[in-house]
Amino acid sequence: MKQLIAILEGIGNAVKLLVRAACFAPTLPRQLPRFMEQCYLIGYTTLPIVAILSFFIGGVLALQAGYSMESFGAKEFIGSLVGLSMARELGPLMVAILLAGRVGSAITAELASMKVYQEVDALVTMNIAPERILVLPRLAAVLVMMPVLAIIANLVGWFGGAIVAHSVDFIALEPEKYFETLRRYTKFEDVANGLIKAETFGFVVVLVCCSIGLRTRGGPREIGASVTKAVVVSLILILVLDYFLTKALL
Amino acid sequence: MTTTQNTARVGLFFLLGIALIWVSYETLSDGKALKSRGYNLVAGFDNLKELKQGDDVRLAGVKIGSVQATRLAGRRAEAVLRIDPAVKIAGDAQATIGSAGLLGTNYVAINLGSASVPPLAPGAEIRTIASVDLNTIMIQLGELGGKLEGALGSMSEVLKGKDGQPSLFQRLDTLLTENSQKVNTTMINLQEITDKVNRGEGTLGKFINDPRLHDELLATVGDLRKAASDAKSVVSNAQTLIEQVKSGKGTLGALIYDEKTGNDIRTATSNLKEVSDKLAKGEGTLGKLINDDSLFREAQSTLRKADRALDGMGDSGPITAVGAVAGALF
Repeated sequence: MKQLIAILEGIGNAVKLLVRAACFAPTLPRQLPRFMEQCYLIGYTTLPIVAILSFFIGGVLALQAGYSMESFGAKEFIGSLVGLSMARELGPLMVAILLAGRVGSAITAELASMKVYQEVDALVTMNIAPERILVLPRLAAVLVMMPVLAIIANLVGWFGGAIVAHSVDFIALEPEKYFETLRRYTKFEDVANGLIKAETFGFVVVLVCCSIGLRTRGGPREIGASVTKAVVVSLILILVLDYFLTKALL
Repeated sequence: MTTTQNTARVGLFFLLGIALIWVSYETLSDGKALKSRGYNLVAGFDNLKELKQGDDVRLAGVKIGSVQATRLAGRRAEAVLRIDPAVKIAGDAQATIGSAGLLGTNYVAINLGSASVPPLAPGAEIRTIASVDLNTIMIQLGELGGKLEGALGSMSEVLKGKDGQPSLFQRLDTLLTENSQKVNTTMINLQEITDKVNRGEGTLGKFINDPRLHDELLATVGDLRKAASDAKSVVSNAQTLIEQVKSGKGTLGALIYDEKTGNDIRTATSNLKEVSDKLAKGEGTLGKLINDDSLFREAQSTLRKADRALDGMGDSGPITAVGAVAGALF
């Protein structure tokens, strides 16, 4: 019962935070430097790890598909399998998980530290709403950066699959054939579907991490606990939302 | 690292993302959703099967468009086909729903039609052929299997026998047992005949074994060949003759093909008819000669008189002969 109340309290706090941040949306143009800084942290610095991870996910997908399909002569469909899997599911999902692990943890740690060391209280004392300068730029930045990260993840994953499918001996699928089936079965609607998912996941991850960070009380140990909690909650929410979004978007 | 540099990187990164989204869009959808180039054709079917929006439209196997929409129209289903504007489809071309393999998607296959038929106008309806799907084939195969099973059952009954009736083999066995003597005799006779043939006895034996027959046959074939050659020459001559006649040469040619000769004949015939008419009517000397018997009578009388005069001359002397003739005549 106590845990249920804690969950409901967490949801309520997150919604309250979102509404307050939304109320400050008109002030965003005046916070452009802060917004750009968050874009840099969320998007630009996350790009290398997203690219590496997506390349190998695409490659592994091609490898597994080639191994399974080769036995019944359907290996030319590897392109369609990798294309659809990356665009609809794995691209956005992997980007969101990376975001939760790399950016979400950093956000929670930063906000929790500010809260624990009373910097947030100082802002409130100076009549500066923490939602305005701490939450709104991050939410806006993630909304702008997630589609970019997701499309890069898709393309890198597709190319990773093509390279693996071509270079592995028992598959040896020509890139032309790979991309021909990829183009035949993957439509832009599938990519758009994945971008919507990525947008939703990123927004929820940043909101949850900000909310948990700003609710931290205690000392350095609680900061660590908040970070762990933020990442775990983010991951669970990503997967739960993934199911419902997939069902809704089919 | 300055804030300005970071901002520039973010801007570049964002633009890269936008460009990649655009490239994906152009590559995967050929930018058709915005441009929507081409013209529509309507294809009506009894059943669209698994055909859905976005499936290919292929002309003789080459992709020329896609299915824009599928809809119900009264008692049939219609597929709206979006065709590339550069492609013209003949008015008598026919569309059918094809399937790209057992696992593949469906597509609309259009044949080339006739080059001479004017192309279909935008919005026109294309002719369709109902294609046989896998389920129908399976049902037909099932029916065929049933019939085959029935036929095999009947054969089995014949072979095994039914309702106490002896089987086919039993009947054959009985037939052979009962007629073994006759069969043996027949076989012996056959053996004798073949022996005779081998020895060259009888007509058939000679026919097969005697080389003279072969030579005669060859000679006959040679004669036949010569006769055929002569016939060919005759036909060739006849052809030449006909060509000459056709070209109006010679009397026959002139008679058939020369207009002047025809006119002359026509005139001659007309004149002849005129003469015969006059003769019939008794006009002219010849007509009177034929139709008027007074001349005959006068000639008869004159002859009679001459006869008498000659008689008179015989009785009198030569001196009075002239006077007698003159007296008899005048």
